[in-house]
Amino acid sequence: MHRFFFFEILALALIGGSMFFFKEALEYLGERDYVAAAVVVGIGISVISVGKEMARLALVQRD
Amino acid sequence: MQDLAPPPTERRWRAFADVVAVALAANVWVSMVILPAAFVGALKHQSVALAAGLAPATLGLGLWRRSELLLLGVFPSAILVPIALRPEMAASHVYGPWRFGVVAIGLIAYLLGVSLFTTFHEPRRPISERLLTSAQQPRPARWRRRERIYWVLAFLALATPVYLITSVSYDADIQAAIASFYPGRIAPMTTLLTLTAVALSIAIYAVVLLGVMRPHRTGDRDLVTTLAIARADAVRGRPRLRFYLGVAAALGFMAAMVLLRNF
Repeated sequence: MHRFFFFEILALALIGGSMFFFKEALEYLGERDYVAAAVVVGIGISVISVGKEMARLALVQRD
Repeated sequence: MQDLAPPPTERRWRAFADVVAVALAANVWVSMVILPAAFVGALKHQSVALAAGLAPATLGLGLWRRSELLLLGVFPSAILVPIALRPEMAASHVYGPWRFGVVAIGLIAYLLGVSLFTTFHEPRRPISERLLTSAQQPRPARWRRRERIYWVLAFLALATPVYLITSVSYDADIQAAIASFYPGRIAPMTTLLTLTAVALSIAIYAVVLLGVMRPHRTGDRDLVTTLAIARADAVRGRPRLRFYLGVAAALGFMAAMVLLRNF
């Protein structure tokens, strides 16, 4: 059960934290810095995919 | 003794459904075509006046043919024809947030009302009834979980278009950006962006929200297989390869960002 909470908190932190990168990307787009925006979107997508894997592990731990 | 009174006849139901459809459709037509056209003076143009008559004609044909395609697909599309001819009819200054909300509720009421009443058939009251034993048990936890998800999906199906359309039409920053990039064409561009928001909402609904529901239609077979594979992975105690790829990609992009900022 402890592992479930650990994975779930980690998943929430990663998925929630990835929103920061998308917000940063919007700001870079506003400044017309398209390369930086694309790189930051890449970070966001990578972080959200890691969070998704954590959420998947949490779901399996609960069952 | 069971009440064996006959149910309302099919004819009465049809008359009731027709009255509901005409009332709700008239509300949509007046609020989306006639009032905006009168407001911007578009009814003086013969093409707009003719296009404005398309929707009632479609409604009449749809009721006569009892066609859901005509009532739920062609009628709302016919509403858009005069707006396509004079896009300023759908401009945000014609509506305003409150009036837009009222018109949206009217359109949703029409779609739900027609969808429900044209297909509703009251079944005959059965001679006797007996509850199944499973119906007397409390609902299983998995169904309560699913019901919560269905409510979240229904909320998202409503919230997504509301948020997108409201942002495009009434957000001061977006309106200022449209005025800056397209001076003199604010109304057509706002209408085009609003239609894009509607198309995006429909795509999200069809692909994402209905996509989540799809495994339920197939008895969760795919989902059960996926969960079994996930459990087998979890027994090994190690995440899948894509976890490591995600971590590596995040670190790579962060390194690229540091290089980009410092060199």
